[in-house]
Amino acid sequence: MADSVAQKKKHKHNKNYWREAFSGYSLIAPFMLLLLIFSFYTFAYGFYQSFRSSQGLNPGDFIGLANYKEVLSSPTFWKAVKNTFVFTGGCLITQIPVAFVLAVILNSLPLKRVQSALRAAFFLPVLINTVVIALLFRMLFNPDQGIVNWVLELLHLPNTYNFLMDSNLTMPLLIIVSFWQWTGFHMVYFVSQLQTIDPTLYESAKIDGAGRIKTLLRITVPMMRPALTFVVVTSAIGGLQLFDLVFMLFPNASYGPGGAGMTMIAHIYDQGFSSQFRLGYAAAVGWVVFFIIFIFSLIQLKAFGFGSNDE
Amino acid sequence: MSVRKKIAGTLLYRFGFRDAKLTVFEWLGIGFLCAVAFIYLYPLIWMCDSSFRPMFEIFNVPPALFQKPIWESVQSYSLTSYVSAFTTHNVGLAFLMSILVTCAGIALTLIVCSLCAYGFVYLEFPGRKVLFMVILGTMMLPMATMIAPAYRVISKIGLVNNPLGIILPYAMSAFGVFLLRQFYIRIPFSIVESARVDGAGHLKIWWNIILPLSRPALAALAIVQFRVIWNDFLMPMIVLRSEHFFTLPIRILLIDSINFNKPYDVIITAGFITALVPMIVFLIFQRHFIEGLTGGVKE
Repeated sequence: MADSVAQKKKHKHNKNYWREAFSGYSLIAPFMLLLLIFSFYTFAYGFYQSFRSSQGLNPGDFIGLANYKEVLSSPTFWKAVKNTFVFTGGCLITQIPVAFVLAVILNSLPLKRVQSALRAAFFLPVLINTVVIALLFRMLFNPDQGIVNWVLELLHLPNTYNFLMDSNLTMPLLIIVSFWQWTGFHMVYFVSQLQTIDPTLYESAKIDGAGRIKTLLRITVPMMRPALTFVVVTSAIGGLQLFDLVFMLFPNASYGPGGAGMTMIAHIYDQGFSSQFRLGYAAAVGWVVFFIIFIFSLIQLKAFGFGSNDE
Repeated sequence: MSVRKKIAGTLLYRFGFRDAKLTVFEWLGIGFLCAVAFIYLYPLIWMCDSSFRPMFEIFNVPPALFQKPIWESVQSYSLTSYVSAFTTHNVGLAFLMSILVTCAGIALTLIVCSLCAYGFVYLEFPGRKVLFMVILGTMMLPMATMIAPAYRVISKIGLVNNPLGIILPYAMSAFGVFLLRQFYIRIPFSIVESARVDGAGHLKIWWNIILPLSRPALAALAIVQFRVIWNDFLMPMIVLRSEHFFTLPIRILLIDSINFNKPYDVIITAGFITALVPMIVFLIFQRHFIEGLTGGVKE
C-alpha cells in the first residue's frame, strides 16, 4: 500500500491524482461536516457566547469578561470543582485496586466456563442506563424502606444513616454507586489484558523459584502498566464529567441535600437549562471546565510517561 | 428432588466441574467470586423482582423475595405495573422512540465512519495525515462541557425538538473512524486495486467489497454505539421538548417528576425494561461486546 501511495505522489500534476483527491475529500466529507458543525463550530460558538449575556434564544449583549469573572468568583462553581475532584479521586482509589485484585483472582480460575460466566456477571452494570441505576440506588438507600440499612442491621452495624439527606454522606454515596457501576468494567478490561501476557514468563518465574506474590509484583503489575494507564486516564475523564448520576440520584434535580453533590457539568446544566437559561454564563463555565479537564488530562498523561516512549 | 439433582448435575457438567480436579484454594476462589457476584447483582435481581410486585410489597423490609419460600413469594406476581406503564405512562412510545433513535444513530455512524475510514486508507489527497490527526484529537474532547453552545447550534439549524438533532451528533464518532481504519489497513490493498483496474468506482468498492469484509469491525462499532446511544441522557433531555419524542430515560425522568403519589412501581418497571434491552443484546453478542468495549481500544 505504501508503494502505491508513493507512486501516486510522483505524479502530483497528473489529472488522475486530483480526481482521486477529489474522491477522497468527498468520501470523508460527511464525517468532516458533522465534526465541523457539532464539534469545532460548537466550541467556537461557545467561546463567542461566553462573552455575551445570552439567555435562552435571546443572544444578549457583549459584556466582555463579566461571565468569566462571575464563574471564578462563584462559590457554587468552586464547590462543584472540589466535589468533582473528590468524586474522581474517590472513584480511582476504590475501583482500580479492587478491579485489579478481582481480575487476578478471576484470571487464575481453572475453569474457562466459570470464568466467562463470572466475567459476564460483573460486566452487566456497565450496560445499564445511569438514570436507571440512580433511581434504583435511591430506592435501595432509602433510610426507612431501603435494603441497605436492613443489611447493615443484619450485620450488627449502625443502621441509622440517611444517605440521601445527610450532606456528609453525599460524596461517599456517589462514590459507592459509581463503584458498583464501573468496577466490573475495569475488571473485564484487566482480564482481557492479563490474557495477553505470555505464559512462558510465568513458567520461567516458577522455575526460578519465585512465589505467587513475587510473580504478581514483578511480572503481572509491570506488564499491566499500559492497561492501568488507559483505565486511569479514561475513568478520570469520565469522572470529571459526572452528571447523570448526581442529577437523578437526588429527587427534583436538587443535586444532593443543599446541593452537596453539585458537580462541574451539573453546574453548567443548572445555570444554562434549569431555570434562567443563562446560556452565556453556562458557556463560560463550559470553557473553564474544559480547560480544567484538559490540563488535568495532560498532567495525568505526563505522569504516566505517555509520549516519552514509542507511543 | 430428583429434578433439582438433575439441574445441579447439568450445571456441574456444563461448567466443567465434573472432570476438573480443583485444589482447595481454587474452590475458595470460585466460592468467593460467586458470592461477590451475587451481592453485586442483587440490585438487578431486586429490580426484576419488584417490577412484578404490587406497590406495597416493593419496599418491604426484609425484601418480599426473602420473606417466604420463593414459590410462595412468586404468587403475588402480576403484570399490573407493566399495564400501567404502557397505558397511562406511555412507556411503549418511549420504547419505540429509543429503538428508532438507536437504530438510526447506529446506521448513520456505520455509514459515515466507514466512508471516512475508506477515504483515509485507500485514497491519497493533500492534508490526509493532518486531517486524520485532527479527528483523533477530537476523540477525547469532553463534549458535555459544551452543552450550552450545542443547544444554540442545534436550534440554529432547526433541529431542536427533532430526533435528528440527537441522531446526527452520534454519527460523529472519531473512535469509529479510528477503529475501522485499523481494520481496513489490514485488508490487502491489491483487492481494491484490482477492482479499480476492472473499472469499479470507489462507492461500489466500498459497498460491495470493503463493507462485507469488515463485518467484525462494524459489529464492534455498532455495539459500542448501541450502548452509548441507548443510555444517552443529557443531550436528549436538552434537545427533545415534546413528550411524544421522549426516549426511555427522559420518559423515566418525567415519571419520576410526579411528586404526589409517585408511581414507584412504574418507575421500576420502566427502568427494568430500559436495562433489559442492553442485557439481552449483551447475552446474544457477548464476545463482540467485550471485544468492542475493551479489545478495540487496545491499539
